[in-house]
Amino acid sequence: MVGPISLLGYSVSLTVVLVVVALVIGLALAVMFWLTVGLSIYRSVGTTRRERVQDDLQRQLLDGTFDPEFDWNEWVAELSSVERRVVESLLDEYLRELDGENVERLRELGDALGIPARSQRRLERGGEYERLYALTWLTLLERPDRLHAADVEPRTPRERAAIARLRHESGDFDSPTAGIALLLEDSRSQFTVFGQDTLYRIGTEAPDALLDAAERNSQSWSQPLLVQVLVVCQHLTAGVTTADLSWLTAALEADNEAVREAAALALGNVGWRPDIRNELFLDRHVGDPSPRVRGAVYRMLARWGDEQALDTLAGALEREPDARARLTGTDALVGRRDRLPDEQRVVLGETWAWSREHAQYDRLARRPDAGVRG
Amino acid sequence: MHTLDHAVLGIVVGFGLFVISYYLLVNAYYLVIHVLALLELRDDVRESRWEPPFRKFASPFYPGIGIVVPAYNEAATIVESVQSMLSLNYPEVEIVVVNDGSTDETLERLISNFDLEAVDADVPLDVPTEEIHGVYRSTVYEELLVVDKDNGGKSDALNAGVWLTDMPLFCAVDSDTVIDRDGLLELVSPFLERPETAVASGGVIRVANDCTIEDGIVTSVSLPKTGLPGLQVMEYLRAFYSGRLGLNRIKGLILISGAFGLFRTDVVREIGGYRQDTITEDFDIVVRLHRHLMDNDREYTVDFVPEPVAWTEVPATRRVLGRQRRRWYRGMVETVVTNRGMLFNPKYGRVGTIVMPFFVAAETIGPLIEGLGYLLLPLAWYFGFLDLEFFLVFFLLTTGFGVFLSWFGVFSEVWSFNRYEHPGQIFRLLWYGVLENLGYRQWKTVVAWQGLIEYLRGVDTWGVMERTGFDTDGE
Repeated sequence: MVGPISLLGYSVSLTVVLVVVALVIGLALAVMFWLTVGLSIYRSVGTTRRERVQDDLQRQLLDGTFDPEFDWNEWVAELSSVERRVVESLLDEYLRELDGENVERLRELGDALGIPARSQRRLERGGEYERLYALTWLTLLERPDRLHAADVEPRTPRERAAIARLRHESGDFDSPTAGIALLLEDSRSQFTVFGQDTLYRIGTEAPDALLDAAERNSQSWSQPLLVQVLVVCQHLTAGVTTADLSWLTAALEADNEAVREAAALALGNVGWRPDIRNELFLDRHVGDPSPRVRGAVYRMLARWGDEQALDTLAGALEREPDARARLTGTDALVGRRDRLPDEQRVVLGETWAWSREHAQYDRLARRPDAGVRG
Repeated sequence: MHTLDHAVLGIVVGFGLFVISYYLLVNAYYLVIHVLALLELRDDVRESRWEPPFRKFASPFYPGIGIVVPAYNEAATIVESVQSMLSLNYPEVEIVVVNDGSTDETLERLISNFDLEAVDADVPLDVPTEEIHGVYRSTVYEELLVVDKDNGGKSDALNAGVWLTDMPLFCAVDSDTVIDRDGLLELVSPFLERPETAVASGGVIRVANDCTIEDGIVTSVSLPKTGLPGLQVMEYLRAFYSGRLGLNRIKGLILISGAFGLFRTDVVREIGGYRQDTITEDFDIVVRLHRHLMDNDREYTVDFVPEPVAWTEVPATRRVLGRQRRRWYRGMVETVVTNRGMLFNPKYGRVGTIVMPFFVAAETIGPLIEGLGYLLLPLAWYFGFLDLEFFLVFFLLTTGFGVFLSWFGVFSEVWSFNRYEHPGQIFRLLWYGVLENLGYRQWKTVVAWQGLIEYLRGVDTWGVMERTGFDTDGE
């Protein structure tokens, strides 16, 4: 074996070094082996135990759901810890999938399992994920009382969204305005898709309240958050009547093209009003420097669908230099007009033919007798 | 003679010291990456256990995804693949199958099985690919679009799909890949969490050999019965799972597998799509995305998502595997050489200063040095310079550490999503972790040298993947 190793004035035999390294690696290997095997066996045993009882518990749970006399407390008292975990997993699944009276029976099972009380404790003491799990359970069980009892404030945007969802689903807000305020007042950072969906669900019940909140707060929002609220506005289904939309028309003038694009699409949904249309300088917006924004403006015009908007759209498409924006606009126009004057059709040429063909195939595939799929 | 002996001794000892130092550096890097992977997994597992209380399919906020499927001579599997993709759970998808000049009946089978009709109009966009002969729409499946074009290679076919999809995101998949039914819902999560900054995300690729597939879903996960695919399961777990998780932790993911990756369509169009003169287009596109976005000072993320899984058949013979790995190596060298300006360049942040240099050291140069070491050993022994005892101890220690890293990958798997549920499978995986160090690893160094030589000779062929087909239920 080669000689000793010298470093910083110390000399150690290479054999010693190698033995130490070998011991460390050997120990690491042994630990890793037993950890991996032990964990695998543990998880496998757990899975086997759960699978063994799953079918029976599922049957009993369904029996109890459809039998109003079934005593959940008595049933739960006889369950082992493994069985309780399986039942909770099934309960979670059914609460997400079922609607109606059966859900009420299932919520009683949640009480019997002690989930609301446990969720409250998790809310009071847990970290972010513990709190999110707890809020999810309370939402599924519609138990906002436990949220109030825990007296917690949201610490992250996700918690804020989860609390809003719980209170909205449980009918705990005095009005949708309170829900919108919880989500948007003092908010800076963007939502996850769950938060955005929650805002949409609450906003659909009171679109004017959402738009008013945006009017008050949009200046302080980050651009991603502003874009998200604008995207929610694209999808609002209830009519907008009195809201001041000046923040929205102002967004159409923003520097950021994502904001302008989202604003155009939002206006397509909520902006079909004479006062708004007169306020917008459509000729300028159809000439936006960004093809992406122009495409959105074309879709906005097509969504409005009146003669004036469609004429503006058709005229703009004749001048459109970007092939993809022209295609976006033509696709939108085809959805509103199935024929064009000859000269416009000639100018749009292959783009018009392409869009019409695809629209026809879309309709064909959507017809009720479109054949057996799969 | 004495001088010659002295010179050879100097070279051998110098090289030995270099190899040991190199080995220590590279393995320290690997160790750090695997430890980071464990931290990343801890977060991912916690995240995956939180299922927000809302109905995803009723939400209008999931971005549409175009699934781009390049197909060249895939007549045997294309119908089943498309059916599998049509059954994926996702609110809004468009499936764009690109028939890349197949010489078999790929297009005819698509036409007859999905009631396709030719769109009677030219494509009104400048698509930067070989000539497109026709676009077909299904009269039954609104979401299916088939593009028929001249052969131009995989990148060219992907570009056709990227340019023709209407969706804001696109998922590049291989036509023989089987995606978990909820795979897209998981893979899209970075785009839902960070809609403004996420530009790409990659899922896990696992070995499908010997798994049972029913109606396009993997219903039973089995380990391959033969050694070579089994060794690759181990390898995929270590490199494509644990390794990428670690890189994700330091925001340094530079490779998303071409078999299953999700990208922002407009950003990929912005960089000109996939490069057609590369054979590892998946590696190249991610590195170019990093480069382009950092050059333009844009905030962005490239993420690895450990839960969604795509299953793929791996080569079962040494000949086909060697061909695949030589191609991977050639492509890796080519991409590294093309993007050498990023190396050690602080302008490119961690990717330029840490990830790429270590990647090159470990994955590009590492196997070459190891191979050279195996070549010099007999030489040193012949000249009497080899301390056999030291060599054996060193070999055992390096092998032991290699096994440890492999077992780390297996542990990560068991601890997290545990797809191989039976302890017997885990025993076998652990055994493969030992076995791969005895012959397989050494063989891969030879393949790396062959790949380098092919690169230097300008070889640019893909080679053919010979598939035995999946074990489908009812067969």
